[in-house]
Amino acid sequence: MSIANTAHSVVEPSPNTRRLAGSLVVLYAVVTMIPLVWIVLTSFKSPDDAISYPPKIVFTPSLEGFCNLFTTRSRQTPEFIRTLGPPQGLCDDIARSRNMVVAGPSNYVPRFVNSLIIAFGSTVLAVALGTLSAYGFSRFRVPLKDDLLFFILSTRMMPPIAVAIPIYLMYRTIGLSDTRLGMILLYTSVNVSLAVWLLKGFIDEIPREYEEAAMIDGYTRFQAFVKVVLPQATTGIAATAIFCLIFAWNEYAFAVLLTSGNAQTAPPFIPIIIGEGGQDWPAVAAATTLFLVPIVVFTVLLRKHLLRGITFGAVRK
Amino acid sequence: MSLDAHTPMPGRGFADRILRRGPLEAIATTIIAAGVVMLMQPFSLTLYSWSFATTLFGTVLFTIVSKVRE
Amino acid sequence: MNDLSAPSRITYGAVLVRPAVVRRIRGLSDKALAWLFITPTMVLLLAINIFPLIWTIYLSFTNYRANRPNAPVKWLGIDWYQTILTDPDIWAAMQVTAHFVFWTVVIETVLGFGLAFLIDKKFRGHGVWTTIILLPMMLSPAVVGNFWTFLYQPQIGLFNYVVAFLTGHPASSFQMLGDVTLSPWAIVIVDAWMWTPYVMLICLAGLRSIPDYIYEAAEVDRASKWRQFWSITLPMALPFIMLAVLFRGIENFKMFDMVNLLTGGGPGSTTEVASITLKRAAFESWRTGYSSAFAIILFVTVFGLANIYVKALNRVKSR
Repeated sequence: MSIANTAHSVVEPSPNTRRLAGSLVVLYAVVTMIPLVWIVLTSFKSPDDAISYPPKIVFTPSLEGFCNLFTTRSRQTPEFIRTLGPPQGLCDDIARSRNMVVAGPSNYVPRFVNSLIIAFGSTVLAVALGTLSAYGFSRFRVPLKDDLLFFILSTRMMPPIAVAIPIYLMYRTIGLSDTRLGMILLYTSVNVSLAVWLLKGFIDEIPREYEEAAMIDGYTRFQAFVKVVLPQATTGIAATAIFCLIFAWNEYAFAVLLTSGNAQTAPPFIPIIIGEGGQDWPAVAAATTLFLVPIVVFTVLLRKHLLRGITFGAVRK
Repeated sequence: MSLDAHTPMPGRGFADRILRRGPLEAIATTIIAAGVVMLMQPFSLTLYSWSFATTLFGTVLFTIVSKVRE
Repeated sequence: MNDLSAPSRITYGAVLVRPAVVRRIRGLSDKALAWLFITPTMVLLLAINIFPLIWTIYLSFTNYRANRPNAPVKWLGIDWYQTILTDPDIWAAMQVTAHFVFWTVVIETVLGFGLAFLIDKKFRGHGVWTTIILLPMMLSPAVVGNFWTFLYQPQIGLFNYVVAFLTGHPASSFQMLGDVTLSPWAIVIVDAWMWTPYVMLICLAGLRSIPDYIYEAAEVDRASKWRQFWSITLPMALPFIMLAVLFRGIENFKMFDMVNLLTGGGPGSTTEVASITLKRAAFESWRTGYSSAFAIILFVTVFGLANIYVKALNRVKSR
């Protein structure tokens, strides 16, 4: 339908309706953003500003939250601090103004690295397995196809705590407790169901004629899959990968129950960041900000495919 | 054991006309929903006690019924 | 749909390269390839999902305790199931879950559908605002839920400040997370904040799937906007709304991470949803057999609902 046509259509809302709808949606969007903006603001506050009443919107920015996130500090007497040399770096400077010295790096970076390794590892595996299976389900006659697809989907719907009990026992027996490999395998199994369903939707949309033409040209089925289907499915594979990445990045239940140190990811770590006398909110906010930024970027990249992703590829718009 | 929609199956008779997939699926769905409601309702401990059996029965029925041909 | 159906392919192939022979020499048959492609996924799911599930079923009939792996294991039959299904405390936890599921689904559906209805008016810049609205649902429920405990602080929290500002109650006069009547609503608010966009997005797809000509016909018939909404918009978007409702229902029935971080089930057990009860039994009291039985009960419920969900999914797909 052309633009000129829609402008005169009887079903088009009037300019006033549009304006009203627009302002209501903008109002909702602004309200819904407040908690997120508050996270970012808090991360740049000093501890005193963060817990002031009334809550401060205007404040002097401080990097203390980020410093406290990345370092551990120990309290010292002013006399001892005076005997030390000049402060090493900004964080040491801030710490000394509070009668503390930087004792070493905190655990946040290793936890963040764990999150990265586990998220990327499980995504690569899930997308690789998912692409193969999706192609299989899309192109071949598989006996009990619908049952297998339902079985695959139902594994994703299982309550995580119910799955965690036997996984905990199994991993303890075979020595995968608190290892990155164990978490990668677990997240892969959860993500592969989404990957199969999503990618099946994307591959179903690629006309079979392309492969069949290639096979007439002498390609085997496998060559046709690699050289014709995969390039066509790049967008779908990328979108699926981002979905898997976000799931593995966000996951908390398995991580908190099955990891304790070595393989712990950021989500179970962030809530236990504490300072002297309770939670160090600027540090928690700083950790949260750093943790959320990649997801915000990916969400914006993914916005056209979000609907597919949350309906397992069923609704395509 | 694959039930392919294209292979003709002998012996379609009276039972086939009554036991159609649509209504049977609706019955199974209702039983599952009833089981879930029984599990979470605040009124009767007896209903709660029987909720799991109901949901399980509904789920098994649904799985069997989904094999019946349309 | 498919121009090169099977017979014509063979004709082409026979003329050119005799496919059966070539395929045998050059590669695998389609059937072998299909299994080769599907098997790895199945093996992984069998190892990480199905085998543990069967193990859980076995454990649910025993008195096994994970913190005493060497103690003799006794077969108990369905004792645990009877215990759980007659236990008023577990029943209470199910009602806490019901409160959470019911109110989140109602609020998210009303708000989500309303938003979708407004966005469907295609005002200027609706794309950008839609993306902004969608952000919360992509974020980690655990990490963001944890930050909400800060917003809910009675003295210093932004939420209490805003409520105090709007209603006049002093900000320190109520504790969202510490109060027996307020805490069940505190978790509902955070969940609604996170997941309203989810319902909105699916409803929007539903609204956009309604073809314009139906409304045009209604206009010709002089049906009022109000009537059009009730007899066209709502019924035609209903399968999509059902899809969203079912999925949110399932997800919130097994909700763990957000509630665990916001309240941990407290105060007392006022926000102890089923997953929290299960976690306490399994990973704090280490009653593995008992918690396995409870896990199976929750699992069967979710599995039953998943059947209905896939049915709803297929109905939407055919649109």
